[in-house]
Amino acid sequence: MYLSSLSLRHFRNYIEQHVDFSAPKVILVGQNAQGKSNLLEGIELLSTLRSHRTSRDQDLIRDAEPIGQISAILERQSGSVDLKLTLRSNGRRTVAVNSEAVRRQLDFLGNLNAVQFSTLDLDIVRGGPAERRQWLDAVLIQLEPLAAYVLQQYQHVLKQRNALLKQHRVHGTPLDPQQLDLWNQQLATAGVRVIERRRRLLERLAPLAAHWHSRISGHHEQLQLVYQPNVEPEPQSPEAAQSHFLAQLQDKSTAEQYQGQTLVGPHRDEISMTLNQTPARQYGSQGQQRTLILALKLAELTLIDEVVGDPPLLLLDDVLAELDLNRQNQLLDAIQERFQTFITTTHLGAFDANWLHAAQILTVESGRLVWPKA
Amino acid sequence: MSTVYTRPLGRLVEQLQRLPGVGPKTAQRLALHILKRPESEVQALAQALIEAKQQVGLCSVCFHLSAEPICDICRAPNRDNSVICVVADSRDVIALEKTREYRGKYHVLGGLISPMDGVGPDQLHVQPLIKRVSQPQVTEVILAISPSVEGETTTLYVGQLLKPFTRVTRIAFGLPMGGDLEYADEVTLARALEGRRELE
Repeated sequence: MYLSSLSLRHFRNYIEQHVDFSAPKVILVGQNAQGKSNLLEGIELLSTLRSHRTSRDQDLIRDAEPIGQISAILERQSGSVDLKLTLRSNGRRTVAVNSEAVRRQLDFLGNLNAVQFSTLDLDIVRGGPAERRQWLDAVLIQLEPLAAYVLQQYQHVLKQRNALLKQHRVHGTPLDPQQLDLWNQQLATAGVRVIERRRRLLERLAPLAAHWHSRISGHHEQLQLVYQPNVEPEPQSPEAAQSHFLAQLQDKSTAEQYQGQTLVGPHRDEISMTLNQTPARQYGSQGQQRTLILALKLAELTLIDEVVGDPPLLLLDDVLAELDLNRQNQLLDAIQERFQTFITTTHLGAFDANWLHAAQILTVESGRLVWPKA
Repeated sequence: MSTVYTRPLGRLVEQLQRLPGVGPKTAQRLALHILKRPESEVQALAQALIEAKQQVGLCSVCFHLSAEPICDICRAPNRDNSVICVVADSRDVIALEKTREYRGKYHVLGGLISPMDGVGPDQLHVQPLIKRVSQPQVTEVILAISPSVEGETTTLYVGQLLKPFTRVTRIAFGLPMGGDLEYADEVTLARALEGRRELE
């Protein structure tokens, strides 16, 4: 897919900006805090309806404005799609596809697929299990729109169940065994769905990531991604998986009541990442960790391409200049002309000449795009 | 904001704004409209508000909204005594009544089990329901509760309690009538698939 134009209205520090994209590689150059990342964030929002920088719509709207808007024309293999997201400083956001309002946000997701790569992504390796789950779930939602619902459902049951356990622990409310039993069942049903989807996804993602890591590291390193679920999946039958889940809850019931929170379930999953059998988190060097993230992102890119059947966009936020020339070239080699790529940077100096070749270069200055003189 | 309006008008706008679905603009429109109407009409509105609040309570049998101690539906002689439809809210009774297809009685729980909001079975009208269902003339209880996380838990909870007494059924969930399969959303479709039935 290919983004042919983007309009930002009262979005972050943009007042009114329209831009037509004319090349598969778009480079946004500018000083810090001019609005380069904001533009990529706009594309990210159209893709996932989420921003990795904030969860409040108010932050996304230009100061003192009631409404912010992001719209884009996307060329897909199946035809051209018109996407529009309207944000309100006090109110719900609305979305429209081809100028028609879409009631449910689920129907909006999946139109624009994008892989985001920013400096924050290093947390996938360096951070805790929550960061890795968040990464995996974001990929999942892009590939299976229904996963957004499944994950949300699980979180909701989890919250209710935690509230029940907490009432018991904090206020000494007697725990109604019958009610707890029902929340257990609901948790197990929703939890098994999450586990199964995560397992399936990692099974496909792991070999791709290993392939890319090996290639970028010059075949010196072997990357292994292993799903370490809190409750083991039983792919043969969901019933078996559920009873297994319930048995685990039973085992931990005393501890749960003591701590007042749910201790069993996919909210405690981990995804282990090892390089040559050594945990990448503790032992990987900066360079190795960067290579690993790059491999993950390329795996995402190729998997989405394969599953959706249309190459996703690649958003590189301030990361390209941090890669050495060898990794830059590996990345360039991988994306070629197939994946439309948006790159932000403060200076063009660190780029290999091949990147600049045939790229559309735009300068960003305090919320405005400046076209180079022809 | 309130300085824009002269004081009594400001109070009216503020009160109207507390109503569900009414924002500042609608509140202002309604307030200005009310000021334009003849005083008798405004009196009637004010009186209707007060009277409704003072007179409408809950039916002592089914907990539906009622001005009488026992509501019209519970008192109706031509309605089927043997079937009780359990719903979360009085709104649901009104929705089901509009279909004119159901001739049994109702029972309003008054909410759904939700630990986050401090609502457990004790806060709902569950005990009176058990008492009603234990009467011999009741042959079926229909659970008509929305398929949300809380609704599901409530359905299962109430279902377990009532099963020893009578036959318990729940309404089906799935595709809207007159809708094309391709236009159904994924969640509804997945749900409909889950609840598939043998072809008779």
